[in-house]
Amino acid sequence: MIECKNINYRYPGAQNPVFNNLSCRVGDPGFHALFGQSGVGKSTFARMIAGQLNGFAGEIAGKEPKKIYYSYNLERLPGWSGVGEHIEKVTPEANKSGISEIIESFGLSSCMDSGFSRLSLGQRNRVNLARYLLQDFDLLIMDESLANVDEATREQIIFKIKAMFPEKSFLYISHSVAEVSRFCRNILVLRDFSKSPQTLTIEGRDNVRGTDVVKKDLEQTMLEIVNAS
Amino acid sequence: MLHKRLYQFVLVYFIGLAFLFTVKGVFNLSDYVIPGISDIYNTARRVFARYFFDVLNTLSVAIVGHILSLAMATVVGIIGRLSNWMGSLIRTAAFNIQAYPIVAVAPMIFILLGDGLSSRLLIAAMICYFPLLLSFIGILSEPVTDIEHFYVHSGRMRWQLEVKIRAFENMNKLITVVAGSATLAMVGTIVSEFIGASAGIGYSIRIALYQSDLSKILVALFLIGIFTSLYLAVLELLGNIVSRRWGKLEVKGERQKA
Repeated sequence: MIECKNINYRYPGAQNPVFNNLSCRVGDPGFHALFGQSGVGKSTFARMIAGQLNGFAGEIAGKEPKKIYYSYNLERLPGWSGVGEHIEKVTPEANKSGISEIIESFGLSSCMDSGFSRLSLGQRNRVNLARYLLQDFDLLIMDESLANVDEATREQIIFKIKAMFPEKSFLYISHSVAEVSRFCRNILVLRDFSKSPQTLTIEGRDNVRGTDVVKKDLEQTMLEIVNAS
Repeated sequence: MLHKRLYQFVLVYFIGLAFLFTVKGVFNLSDYVIPGISDIYNTARRVFARYFFDVLNTLSVAIVGHILSLAMATVVGIIGRLSNWMGSLIRTAAFNIQAYPIVAVAPMIFILLGDGLSSRLLIAAMICYFPLLLSFIGILSEPVTDIEHFYVHSGRMRWQLEVKIRAFENMNKLITVVAGSATLAMVGTIVSEFIGASAGIGYSIRIALYQSDLSKILVALFLIGIFTSLYLAVLELLGNIVSRRWGKLEVKGERQKA
């Protein structure tokens, strides 16, 4: 569990702050979401949690999770090696047995011999996410990691992640209200700095493979998220 | 690639000659100032063999000087990319020292080291070293965040990997800079020979200048141009081979697509 207390942050030279006394909790096991309008500071907040952005006032504390990874959708693999070769190389020995399962369920088997630059945007994002999932992590922040991936494949990937890593924490950043409402356990809605509190937590439907979501409940959750943001 | 370089040079050379003959005709200048075509031809027949070996001599010094400066720029560029005090010191020193014209220091080098090979080599290396160094520092100190992010945050980043990523991502720029600095190495060697050495085509040009013999200078320029074009073409060819080897997967992919 990570506890954020009274976070205040303003980008150098910016007139308005991004965060104004932001307080919240993240990092429980499960598939959670960070939701908010564009420019509200989702990626900034994610980078803070991951320890990649300093210079803010307030406190981010918590003993667990220890290993936090932040992946985003514009990442690239080095051009000198093929996708399969790269994944093999960066996967810790203990996790190598999981490579084929993830690659197959992500629909990437045909990409393993290709160069990264030859892949489509959706394939690139899936490859990038796959290599992060093969690391030893406690919390994985997925910043639009499934952008440019079709809806059916996204669903398959999220179900697979939930089934494979039930003890791990995920913070999924997406702009799709329907998606976060259906698949995520808790949705942390990040709001504009002028609103207080700056975050609200909405309970999602946490849908897993083989179960159905009642349409009315889903719509209710979506409405709550829209109202909160 | 080679023939393109040669065509370009020969075209420029003959445009220059045509300009000289036009000036000669317009101002009615004597053959003593600008020689006629037959004079140039006769001089070429007389000095071609000697100048050929002089240019080869100069080119060999330029190539060694170029390799030396490449090695130095790579090492110093790798250190200069660092964001600590050492990197900062090297960057500042490189920017300040390169502002001083090396040619102005050349006489001092001849006084200290004499008029032999070492002086020519040092001046050639120094003249092409600083432009190379500034480019190398610029390229190697610019993070490729989209690729490096994963390695940095998974604790896998090593300096060798960082240099490899940045060099690979800027391969075309590096090749252009290396090929461009080859001309500077040649210029540096000729200038050093012109100033104080006792060998090479720069030295021959100096003798021709004392004799006010423009024909010899024109023949020397022709040979310098041919050999420099040859060297540049070889460098470009090597650059293409390196690019293809490093990016073989992309190249293979392009072929498959085609």
